[in-house]
Amino acid sequence: MRNTVRSNGCNLAMTSFHVAEEEGDPSGSRGARGGNLSHHCSKMDGMDDETTVFTTLKSFKSFISKPETSQKPPDSSLAHHHLQRQYLQRIEMEEAAEKICSKTHLLQMAQEKQQMELSHKRARIELEKAAHISARDLEREVDRNQELLNRIKKLEEREAETTRTLNEQMEMNKTLKKSLEGENKKLEEKESVISEANKTNGALRDEIRELNHKLKKLDMQLTTQSTDNQGLQEQLELQRKKYQELTMKFQELQATQSLNSDNELKIKELERRLALQEQDSVIVRNMKSELARLPDMERELKRLREENSYLRETQENSNLLREETEGLRRKLERLEKLKEDMVSLELEKEKQATVLQAWENLSEMTGLNIRKPEDLSREIIQIQQREIALKQQNHSVTSSARALEKARAQLQGEVTDLRTKALEEQKKREQQDALVRRLQKRVLLLTKERDGMKAILESYDSELATNEYSPQLTRRVKEAEDMLQKVQAHNLEIEAQLSKAQEEIGTYKLQTQKAEMELDVLKKQAPGAENSSFVMNEEVSSLRQKIEELEAERRRLEDQNNILEMRLEKHNLQGAYDPTKTKVIHLRMNPTNIAKQQRLDEVEHLREECQQLRERIRALQAGGAVTSNEGTLSLPPSQEVLDLRRQLESAELKNQRLKEVFQKKIQEFRTVCYVLTGYQIDITTENQYRLTSVYAEHMEDSLLFKGWNCTPLMAQFCPAAVGYVQWDTGILMKLKLMKVER
Amino acid sequence: MSSTLKGITLKGSAELVAEFFSFGINSILYQRGIYPPETFTRVTQYDMSLYLTVDPNLKTYLNDVVTQLKGWLFDCTVQKLVLVITCLETNEVLERWQFDIECDKTITGSSGTREKSIKAIQEEIRSVIRQITATVTFLPLLETACSFDLLIYTDKDQVVPEKWEESGPKMIADSEEVRLRTFTTTIHKVSSMVAYKRTDCI
Repeated sequence: MRNTVRSNGCNLAMTSFHVAEEEGDPSGSRGARGGNLSHHCSKMDGMDDETTVFTTLKSFKSFISKPETSQKPPDSSLAHHHLQRQYLQRIEMEEAAEKICSKTHLLQMAQEKQQMELSHKRARIELEKAAHISARDLEREVDRNQELLNRIKKLEEREAETTRTLNEQMEMNKTLKKSLEGENKKLEEKESVISEANKTNGALRDEIRELNHKLKKLDMQLTTQSTDNQGLQEQLELQRKKYQELTMKFQELQATQSLNSDNELKIKELERRLALQEQDSVIVRNMKSELARLPDMERELKRLREENSYLRETQENSNLLREETEGLRRKLERLEKLKEDMVSLELEKEKQATVLQAWENLSEMTGLNIRKPEDLSREIIQIQQREIALKQQNHSVTSSARALEKARAQLQGEVTDLRTKALEEQKKREQQDALVRRLQKRVLLLTKERDGMKAILESYDSELATNEYSPQLTRRVKEAEDMLQKVQAHNLEIEAQLSKAQEEIGTYKLQTQKAEMELDVLKKQAPGAENSSFVMNEEVSSLRQKIEELEAERRRLEDQNNILEMRLEKHNLQGAYDPTKTKVIHLRMNPTNIAKQQRLDEVEHLREECQQLRERIRALQAGGAVTSNEGTLSLPPSQEVLDLRRQLESAELKNQRLKEVFQKKIQEFRTVCYVLTGYQIDITTENQYRLTSVYAEHMEDSLLFKGWNCTPLMAQFCPAAVGYVQWDTGILMKLKLMKVER
Repeated sequence: MSSTLKGITLKGSAELVAEFFSFGINSILYQRGIYPPETFTRVTQYDMSLYLTVDPNLKTYLNDVVTQLKGWLFDCTVQKLVLVITCLETNEVLERWQFDIECDKTITGSSGTREKSIKAIQEEIRSVIRQITATVTFLPLLETACSFDLLIYTDKDQVVPEKWEESGPKMIADSEEVRLRTFTTTIHKVSSMVAYKRTDCI
């Protein structure tokens, strides 16, 4: 029997299982199963499920095997039904396997679901706990929040109050500031007003001062001008007095002038009258003299009239005579001309006579029947006619000669042509003969070859028994044939070349023969041309000489040209140019000019410097010390000078310091000596020393010593004390006590 | 540059030639030691390093001459440019660098262009300047202090501008001449030569 399946409430699987069960189990007890199934909806163990699965599988298989035996009726064909049954069984088994798989899956799912539910419940519980806790926290937080909110409200109220007070104070501040500003402005305005007033005060005071100054100046000016005025007025009075005096003098002068002018006029009138009178007197004298001459004049007048009439008459006569002479002269001239003409006419007459004589003698000379010129003209006409006839004959003859010549030339040409043709024919014949001969030779050769070939072929044919030689033979035959063809082709080529050469030779021969014939013809035609050839040769030689001379000259000229071109090129290279076509320009301020200018300036500058230096040297030599403030020299001190000056200064400084130090030290030493030894030594003058003791009763008590260089042996005896003092230098000085001063 | 794309115009040719002269003159001044080497600075031109002066007076002088020369090149009225080196002490001419300029006058003012690449022209200029540098080997030393001057040979009817004046050709009395290379922009052809005073110690 089938065990009950405990599942977790997977309805679908159950329904399928139900289906499967229904299929297999027709019996009832469905409801019991269903009840069992619904009963077990609680948690189950997995293992139980699995075991149940396997048990159900077994039972299922058993069940499957049962109905098969019960249900299947016995059939006719057993094998068929057995197979069918097997097939059906297999199908059913597969379906059951599938169902079991699904069941297992379902069971797994149910297990998982239970687990999940469990976990869910745990989680829910935990969450509820957490929720409780959080609710509590929340309540606490809410309380806190409320407290904080209250605090915040209080603080806000305080803040508002403080802001209010702040604002009030701000406003008070602002009002105070405004009032301050207002008062400040007022103060500033007052100050500005005061300053302006001060400025105006100051300006006004300055103005007042200036005005005072001006007033003073003006007063001064006034006083000066008043004094000037007074002076000028005095001058004016003086001038007025002078003016009055002058006017009076002027009037007097004018009066005298008028008197003068009147007097002058009178003088002029008198002079004029005098002149007129003199002229009248002169005229009177002349008239007198003329009157004296009057009778003589009358006599002369008569005489002259008579002469006049006489001269007139003679004049008429002379005119007549002149006309006559002129007429006669002209006649003379005409007669002379006539004479000359007559002479020439006579000469002509003689000539004409001789000519006539000759003409008359002509008839005797010529033998013709000529007596008169008509006969001559007749004769001439006859001769002319004869001439015309002869000319006509001449023309006809020449034309016939030309025609004949043309015919001759034509015939000659034909002759030459015929000869050339004959030659050609001959040549052709020869060529043909040669060809024939060659062909015959060829034929012979060919026949020989043919025979040879035939013999070879026959020999080869005879030897054709063995198969081994046939290919070699055929090859040899082919080779021989090829050779033969080649030889034949070669032969043909050579023969063609030979024929060509022979043709060319023939043509050349023809040409030469033609030329020879033409030469012969020409020679025959011009027998006299041989003479002209000499002349021609001479001309040719002269022309050739001329040509040579011209060539030589041309060469010479060419050389000259080359030389000139080279010279021109050289000049161009050197920079020569044609002044009529080009000009050379450059910038005025170019570096060379600038450099030259600079050089000149430098030279000038150096000369000036030199001059100044020389003067300085002269001044130095003459004067000695030159102050540096001469002003003319401004030599920059050289480096050496500066160094030396520096050295000098340092040396002087050193010297100074040494002196000071020495002074101090010597003072110290002297005091120490005086204090320790009790004696003070002073140098009074050169070589004299004074010794004073500390124990001296008076200041003036001292011993005076004098020293000189001498050896100890030269000790001079003296009654006083003698002391030797040894200096550091090793020279013994002898000090002689001079005296004791008190 | 005004003459890169389509060819050489008259204006472009004038600029090229003027530029060449500017650099050439600077090179000569440096090579012959007319001015001390420390007054020159190195620049790159024509794919080689050349020297340009930084002395302001010299620069202004060269600029004046070159700008005027550019104008005359455009007008095609200039025939030669000569650089004359004179000794300051004896005032005699020691060296004479002469550049002959031939202008093709068939080209109209501003319209014609010629086909020649800038590269080729620059090659030619480069070779000329190299040759100038190389001439230092055979030119005699300039031992005394020297100065230079630039002369321009123009057409007779050319107007002389304000700061310019006529001068003599400043030829050398006893000279040796050496012809150097030429370069051409197809509009202007510049040929160079140097003449120097023959020294006695040879």
